[in-house]
Amino acid sequence: MARRYDSRTTIFSPEGRLYQIEYAMEAISHAGTVLGVLAKDGVVLAAEKRVTGKLLDLSSAKEGGGYGGSGEKMFLLNSNVIGGVAGITSDANSLVNYARTVAQQHLLQYNDDIPVELLAQRLCDMKQGYTQFGGLRPFGVSLLYAGYDPHYHFQLYHSDPSGNYSGWKATCIGANNGTAQSLLKQEYKDDLGVEEAIGLVLRVMSKTMDSTTLGSEKLEFAVLTYDEAAKAPKAKIYKPAEIDALLRAEGLAKKDEDTEMK
Amino acid sequence: MSIMEYNGGSVIAMVGKDCVAIASDLRLGSQALGISSNFQRIFPVTDRVYVGLPGLATDVTTLRERFRYRVNMYTIKEEREIEPETFAHLVSSTLYQHRFGPYFIEPVMAGLSKTPSGGFKPFIAATDLIGCLNFAKDFVVAGTASAKLFGVAEGLWEPDLEAEDLFETISQTLLNAVDRDAYSGWGAIVHVITKDKIITRTLKGRMD
Amino acid sequence: MNSILQRYSGSNAGGLSKSTIDEDNDFSDAMWGSEAGFGTLAKGVPGFVVPSVPDPAAFLRLHTDDHADPSCRIKIQHGTTTLAFRFQGGVIVAVDSRATAGSYVASGTVKKVIEINPYLLGTMAGGAADCQYWETYLGMHCRLHELRNRERISVSAASKYLSNLVYSYKGMGLSMGTMICGWDKTGPAVFYVDSDGTRLKGDLFSVGSGSTFAYGVLDQGYRWDLTDEEAQELGRRSIYAAGHRDAFSGNTCNLYHVKEDGWKFIGNYDITKLHYEGPGDVAGSPGHGYGYDMRVEGRSSANPPEAPAQA
Repeated sequence: MARRYDSRTTIFSPEGRLYQIEYAMEAISHAGTVLGVLAKDGVVLAAEKRVTGKLLDLSSAKEGGGYGGSGEKMFLLNSNVIGGVAGITSDANSLVNYARTVAQQHLLQYNDDIPVELLAQRLCDMKQGYTQFGGLRPFGVSLLYAGYDPHYHFQLYHSDPSGNYSGWKATCIGANNGTAQSLLKQEYKDDLGVEEAIGLVLRVMSKTMDSTTLGSEKLEFAVLTYDEAAKAPKAKIYKPAEIDALLRAEGLAKKDEDTEMK
Repeated sequence: MSIMEYNGGSVIAMVGKDCVAIASDLRLGSQALGISSNFQRIFPVTDRVYVGLPGLATDVTTLRERFRYRVNMYTIKEEREIEPETFAHLVSSTLYQHRFGPYFIEPVMAGLSKTPSGGFKPFIAATDLIGCLNFAKDFVVAGTASAKLFGVAEGLWEPDLEAEDLFETISQTLLNAVDRDAYSGWGAIVHVITKDKIITRTLKGRMD
Repeated sequence: MNSILQRYSGSNAGGLSKSTIDEDNDFSDAMWGSEAGFGTLAKGVPGFVVPSVPDPAAFLRLHTDDHADPSCRIKIQHGTTTLAFRFQGGVIVAVDSRATAGSYVASGTVKKVIEINPYLLGTMAGGAADCQYWETYLGMHCRLHELRNRERISVSAASKYLSNLVYSYKGMGLSMGTMICGWDKTGPAVFYVDSDGTRLKGDLFSVGSGSTFAYGVLDQGYRWDLTDEEAQELGRRSIYAAGHRDAFSGNTCNLYHVKEDGWKFIGNYDITKLHYEGPGDVAGSPGHGYGYDMRVEGRSSANPPEAPAQA
């Protein structure tokens, strides 16, 4: 009998719950952590990579001509928005593609970059549809959106498989998100600068990740700032070498004896 | 009255030695009436590819935005800048999608493409308004002064011109051709694309 | 065969000689030459080869340029700007020099002022050949008038002669819009005559595709008591405006001034040079280019005047 209300996404249980949605969220809470912090002059994202191994071909992420990232957790959604994803990677790829198309259509129609909240809304409209219309399962993905627009400047949003979204000063999705959020709650201060935010993100990340030390093979990192010279937001998704350099600068690099991935 | 001649304007592109040039006049008209003498119809696509869009002005804007859309999607998905050859096919396919209700534009493209050895190779191309590609080795022309541009370019162009000589050749070709066209002129702009810089110059032209 | 042609030619409109059907037999080249090229005309009525159909006027209407039918097959260039105005000091006549065939600029050095005689000028708009031929023909008749009446023909009479002449060819595709300008016993005079048969006396006219632009400047600057210098500058400036804005006008401006002792050619001015540098060291010159950017140097939003230093 337990199967009666949880096999369909669009049917409420007698207690008023949509079990498939809750299962999707449960799946996400086992995925690699993604953490975001809003600063007064930027937004910082960090993510824990789960797909690792010494036979994995990372050459495209290391020297790729693109914008950085391994293509697992961090995606440039538009010139003014970086997305961090947690959940089923294939679902995430589909959503990322949708987000990019939506953003470009907005640019085409209005000759302006899409406002960050509107982009989050458009993805949530789609996600919500899968909780209501029959025969389909929901997207098993939560996203963090780190963005900038001229209306509200820097913003950080979170959206979940139900199609809910909300804005945050600092938040976290994926494994151990409870721990991370309580840490963020303790350490977050208003009027944080982007440099301090980077430090905060890395410190919280190092405490919540399963592995004891941080390194580029398990971490993705991105920062969104504003380029005063170009009068445009500047999205930077770090390359592995840049992540290692950053960790060393923050004194969080792995010690010499830690050679697990070498 | 031809819709292709409604606003006037012309574009030319030429190949040089390890460089290419693309140039256009600056007139925007409404038939015989001149409206503007600083109308931009050449746009950068990447650091090494430029496109010129002579034809109906409203379609210049629309097509430019459509190309930006498709190039942005290409760049964000492929994680690299588009090569000129690829862009030419993107232009062609965009135009042919509107085979039965075309944009009244005949695009001209100029760029440097990457070679496998890490060098750069000059590339120019043009299409008609429904996307028939023309890959020329010397020069391509389009717009209301195209017939005149062909004539002058045929006389002035020579192979392997250095960047500054190519600038002189394309400038003289354009300026003299548009002086024989009622719908083109009112100043000109020239871009010369070399491997390490882009030379952009605005030229004074006849104002009648 | 010939009898059929003769029968048809009998229905010709307005005094066309039937002998011209087979002109090679009736007129030798020598006859043309012997009468200064107006051999067929001096005798009285001019004779032209006309299409050998029952109604040549209807046939020509179908095939020649006519503003009622823009899709006709024989195109005559209409792009031009000409102007003439009367003022206290005489008549100013100014024209551009561009000839176009479609969008092709066929020439930039056309003489659009026809010097009928030392006291009369005609301007050229519409069919170049029509204007040139008939105004020269008018010149011939003005001279005959002088010889017969021992005095110069009035501008009014000359223009009337022309308008009656073109009216007799109405519907056969003549295309002219001209101003007959001169000085006679009544003083300076300007008459507008066109191929529809219109003839108007007036102070100020502009004809051609660029006329609206010329009128804009002309109306704004026109007064009867303009000085000679001001009037010449106004004519020059008006043709510049048309040459600048109108695609079918331009290249250069030819300026004439008619006074009591006949017309005088003032000068030829390059439109682009007028735009960037102005007319140079001539009477009435503003001392700078006519172009907007030159005119507002240091006074436009793109190039504002320097803010006064803070106290």
